[in-house]
Amino acid sequence: MSEPLIAADRLSVHAGGVHILDRVSLAVRPREIVTLIGPNGSGKTTLLKAVLGLVRSEGTIRRRTGLKIGYVPQEFGRDPSLPMTVGGFLALFAPVRAREDALTRVGVAEARNRQLGALSGGELARVLLARAIAGRPDLLVLDEPMAGVDVAGEAALYHLIADIRDEFGCGVLLVSHDLHVVMAQADRVVCLNRHVCCEGDAHAVVRDPAFLELFGARAAGELALYAHHHDHAHTPSGKTVCHDG
Amino acid sequence: MDDFLWRAVLGAGLLGAACGPIGCFVMWRRMAYLGESVAHMGLLGAGLGLLIGINAVVGTAALAIVAALVMARAGDRTIPAGTFVGIVGHMGLALGFILLATMENVRTDLLGYLFGDVLALSAADVAAIAAASFGVLAVTALLWRPLLRNAICGNIAAAEGERGGLPQTAFLVLVALLVAFGLKVVGALLIVALLIVPPAAARPFARTPEAMAAMAALAGALAAPIGLALAYLTDAPAGPCIVLAAGAIFAASALASRLWQAFA
Repeated sequence: MSEPLIAADRLSVHAGGVHILDRVSLAVRPREIVTLIGPNGSGKTTLLKAVLGLVRSEGTIRRRTGLKIGYVPQEFGRDPSLPMTVGGFLALFAPVRAREDALTRVGVAEARNRQLGALSGGELARVLLARAIAGRPDLLVLDEPMAGVDVAGEAALYHLIADIRDEFGCGVLLVSHDLHVVMAQADRVVCLNRHVCCEGDAHAVVRDPAFLELFGARAAGELALYAHHHDHAHTPSGKTVCHDG
Repeated sequence: MDDFLWRAVLGAGLLGAACGPIGCFVMWRRMAYLGESVAHMGLLGAGLGLLIGINAVVGTAALAIVAALVMARAGDRTIPAGTFVGIVGHMGLALGFILLATMENVRTDLLGYLFGDVLALSAADVAAIAAASFGVLAVTALLWRPLLRNAICGNIAAAEGERGGLPQTAFLVLVALLVAFGLKVVGALLIVALLIVPPAAARPFARTPEAMAAMAALAGALAAPIGLALAYLTDAPAGPCIVLAAGAIFAASALASRLWQAFA
């Protein structure tokens, strides 16, 4: 297996005495799509931010030397007081040629001269993705890139992300709430609830007891299909019990 | 026209022009309140500067820079950052006022520190304001792209490996410098108006951040002659007149943009 682009080992994040993340380990390899799923408040966004160094954490994070990251944050507040065209926004981060290629690649080249504030949710998601790939990153980190995108748009955007991975050979670490599309596109799924509940290549997690506990049997039944490894169980109080280390 | 009026137009105009672009960032980053508190601390700085025998502007600049850097890092979870910033700023204002009031020789100037005394600018003052204004404009232009990346989404820049510390610190120092040099022009209580009103006036007509900064600089510079003319004709205090002129430019801009939208 190739060397990971980025590897986090036993990351913990606390705030005000509360564990937001408890010894979470995670690695993304080149050309791999790793998807984080988990309920609200399970620490998905915090984990991405910790891995990116945006929040303070304990544990170790190793990056491949010279790693170039393209990041799409969950919260991108479009400020109405800041006039900015799509083209101008991308130009802040990438040279003109790369900017045009990226906008064309994600299918929003015609939005070049429009104001960021005037874009629909789906257009904004594509513009943010274009910005992230314009710098030809080795690793794409996408935090709920589907926010504000309708259902049809979501599937299309996931296909686009998978295509970009194939073309650029980059690794992808993404947070998502849409289990269907996740299962269709992810190479590996990490199910998070402050700690790693279960993980496996995308067709194992849905049968995991921990997954069932978090998402319910119905979601699992609809998704079905997945072979994996679960190294702990939960007591009724929610404590973790390891059964095979 | 009298020399003092020319000096006032030049000093206030240059300062207003320098406030425009930096004021855009104050607006985009929602930092008007921080600017306000920095200006309040500036009054204490002026008092301390006079007390230890250095010049009031140097004292203001020094304390304003320290206050800006400290307050920007405020973030205790149980007290909102804005409240903390407000506490520090108002303590500075209260202490500064008491300090200035106890100094015999400056008592008559107290209102000048609060609302400016632009008609009393000396040629040396104008030269200092000019140097500071051109300096602030030059640094703003130099750091334009990192400042803008930080204003749009600091997390993206930081996640992709940009060190945001330098532009952030530079921005706070520039705000503090404008506050210090604004003390003599419109005073500690009104200086933030020159930071936020011209960008607000520029916003409706700008499609790019660069255009907005340029228009804000123009609006800030224009407020000086208009306000001073108003003061000259009515004998009203000059500093507040400059601020009112900026407000009038804002009102005219808002009205014009509404009309434009209605008929275009």
